[in-house]
Amino acid sequence: MRRLARWLALAAGAVLAFPATAQAPRNGGELVFPVPSEPPSYDGHREETFGLIHPIAPFYNTLLRVDPNDPGGTKPVPSIAESWTVSPDGLTYTFKLHKGVKFHDGSEMTAKDVKATYDKIIFPPPGVGSTRKGAYVVVAAVEAPDPATVVFKLKWPSASFLAGLASPWNFIYKADILAKDPNWYEKNIMGTGPFTFVEHVKGSHVVGKKNPNYWDKGKPYLDGYRAIFMRDSAAQVAAVRGERAHIQFRGFTPKDRDNLKAALGDKITVQESPWDCILMVGINHTKKPFDDKRVRRALSLALDRHEGSKALSQIAIVKAVAGVQVPGTPFATPPEELNKLAGYWTDPAKSRAEAKRLLKEAGVPEGFSFTFSNRGIPMPYEPLGVWMIDQWRQVGLNVKHNVIEARAYFGVIRKGDAEVHMDFQCGYIVEPDLDMYKFLSTERNPANYGFYQDPVLDDLYDKQSRATKPEERKQLIRQFEKRLLDEEAHYLMTLQWHRIIPHSSKVKGWTITPSHYLNNTLDAVWLTE
Amino acid sequence: MAYYILKRLLAIIPTLLGVAVLIFLLLRVVPGDVVEARYMGEGGQFQSQDLMQIERKKLGLDQPLWKQFTTWMWGLAHLDFGLSMWTGAPITEEIQLRFALSLQLAVMASTVAVLLAIPLGVLAALKQDTWVDYAVRVFSIAGLAMPSFWLGILMILSMLIFFKWLPPMVFTPLWVNPWENLAQLIWPALAVGYRYSAVGTRMMRSTMLEVLREDYIRTARAKGLWLKLILTRHALRNAILPVLTIMSLEFAFLLGGLVVTEQVFNLNGLGMLFVEGIARRDYTLTQALVMLVATFFLVVNFVVDIAYAWLDPRIRYR
Repeated sequence: MRRLARWLALAAGAVLAFPATAQAPRNGGELVFPVPSEPPSYDGHREETFGLIHPIAPFYNTLLRVDPNDPGGTKPVPSIAESWTVSPDGLTYTFKLHKGVKFHDGSEMTAKDVKATYDKIIFPPPGVGSTRKGAYVVVAAVEAPDPATVVFKLKWPSASFLAGLASPWNFIYKADILAKDPNWYEKNIMGTGPFTFVEHVKGSHVVGKKNPNYWDKGKPYLDGYRAIFMRDSAAQVAAVRGERAHIQFRGFTPKDRDNLKAALGDKITVQESPWDCILMVGINHTKKPFDDKRVRRALSLALDRHEGSKALSQIAIVKAVAGVQVPGTPFATPPEELNKLAGYWTDPAKSRAEAKRLLKEAGVPEGFSFTFSNRGIPMPYEPLGVWMIDQWRQVGLNVKHNVIEARAYFGVIRKGDAEVHMDFQCGYIVEPDLDMYKFLSTERNPANYGFYQDPVLDDLYDKQSRATKPEERKQLIRQFEKRLLDEEAHYLMTLQWHRIIPHSSKVKGWTITPSHYLNNTLDAVWLTE
Repeated sequence: MAYYILKRLLAIIPTLLGVAVLIFLLLRVVPGDVVEARYMGEGGQFQSQDLMQIERKKLGLDQPLWKQFTTWMWGLAHLDFGLSMWTGAPITEEIQLRFALSLQLAVMASTVAVLLAIPLGVLAALKQDTWVDYAVRVFSIAGLAMPSFWLGILMILSMLIFFKWLPPMVFTPLWVNPWENLAQLIWPALAVGYRYSAVGTRMMRSTMLEVLREDYIRTARAKGLWLKLILTRHALRNAILPVLTIMSLEFAFLLGGLVVTEQVFNLNGLGMLFVEGIARRDYTLTQALVMLVATFFLVVNFVVDIAYAWLDPRIRYR
């Protein structure tokens, strides 16, 4: 009897606790969200802008995806693949596909389609450009031995291969269509995703409606979505504040967050995360005196990143003090270790004294003048640029701020005329192979605008990329980071971007991650009313 | 009059040709191109020079400049603007979408401006140095001092804070849903129209004051002619000429020049398309837009010239 009473009490408790802890997803409703950019084409394999991912990703699936419930945004989980196995030598990855996955035209999706998709990305036919071919140099071949199995053969074991397959850009396309016209997907949409395409009014909006035949039964919860192109951030904030839009997936500024919270109170839920984007200072090694590592180290030592973080995070979309990995992610250097690197010390007076000593030793006179080129984008380039110039002034450097129009910027920097400049990188997943590729010698990566050759650094990169044991890889990443940011000071990190998403409290089933390219399939998103 | 019209029409051709050469060269002087804008914008890690080459070849950017220019001119001669380098869509399609909105906004803003400028300007001139004149002058100076986009932001915030209401975010054509259409466009039309009326009001007031001091007006008054008749038949007809010039040029400007106002009200108009075309180095689209706006300016100028000649016969005989 006592046992029964206990069970009844537990059951009653569970029923009472249920609404407070886990609400059951509700079906229906249209999610409305502004998108600050517009897709140039519909081809995810070709484009690089979040303006494509936000409105177009819900029409597609990828082979794997990054766990949508993991705020760290680093765990690949199955999507169209049901499961996978890796051979003992790490050279063969075999994926079993979900059965019953259908394209929006009603045809069955098979391994042939996955093979054709990856062949287009990794081995594009002549005349077809592939933006991410370089990310899959490790792949020797893609095979489809039967309709439900895809096999990737690698040239060497790779620690980042699964993360690469979770790329949100690698939409699964239909093999027959690609065979007829590899560029078909630039102007057309036809995927297997949770939503089907309704319309795209250029410059205005994209509308998607629920795919009733979606393979993941019960999903999606929404009846549809409407992505509205809105460039002006004030208009985006007004749309959320006026409850005309539920969420904006890229991010708002701290001030926008505070204003929205003050105006709407509990109607707004705020999710925040370190952002897998960072502004870095590129130092042109071909220009004197920046060929001297003492000068480069002095530039880093002059920055009080810890105080900068406190002040700048109030006004700009930056916050954490970071190395080459987003803080808090598996391969990130712990703060106590990071603080040992030049420019990360917690005593700014000591750091600046050392900077002055190094400059003097390198023969750089007090009041030495140079030009810092910055990109003409207000947030966060401008506040970071102004902050750095002030920091450098405190070690006796006189820096001119040269702001270059945003689209012309990299064309100018690539010519190699700039002395010191702002550089930038943004990733879809926190993964050392992707995040550190930027810093390889210019010979290997022409997008390295420090214009240096460093075989030691390149070697460390290759070793960590092939290290399949996490601990071993971590140690190699530390060595890479120390050489890049401290010993050679090839590049300087500023502050990690900080992603702030204040959204309507009606939106459920969406978790922020460090990347604004992730979690946009919308299959698990639902609205409370 | 026919000879005058023909002369004005023929002058349009070399002007357009000059505009075409100028915009073609100017765009290519600016650093960067559409391929760079596409692949270097968001910090992607793996851009390769091969990819850039393939894309440039696809867009014809590997061709010598003279060939690019002649191809474009040949297309223009056949009224074929080509494809947007950014989206790959036909340019006529890209422009068509935005043209309806921009034209409607320009017409609505001009209507607001004319309805405010002419009566207020005449009133201020008639009541010179009275409180009415001062009030009109303060009203028009305020319009000049306030950028229309700022006024737009104030309007949006006021609607949001006081009425918990926002204009629709997506454009609906007038013939699909007139209410939705007007609910979206009336606010930018008021913001822009007010700014634009301020210039007209001040011009109307000063030209009206000048005309009212003319001998023929004094004679008309001395003859005992009704004031209403003097104003409409004699004074207004002469005073309106410079106002007409200014307002018609402003109208042409409204078609492609409302960039910030379009941003604030999230309007999918030609102004935004223009700026995006330039920022993305979309040569074909920018060239087409410049030619369109230049043609529009020339046509409006032409119509004004004809109206001038009609209003003032001395002009056509010169």
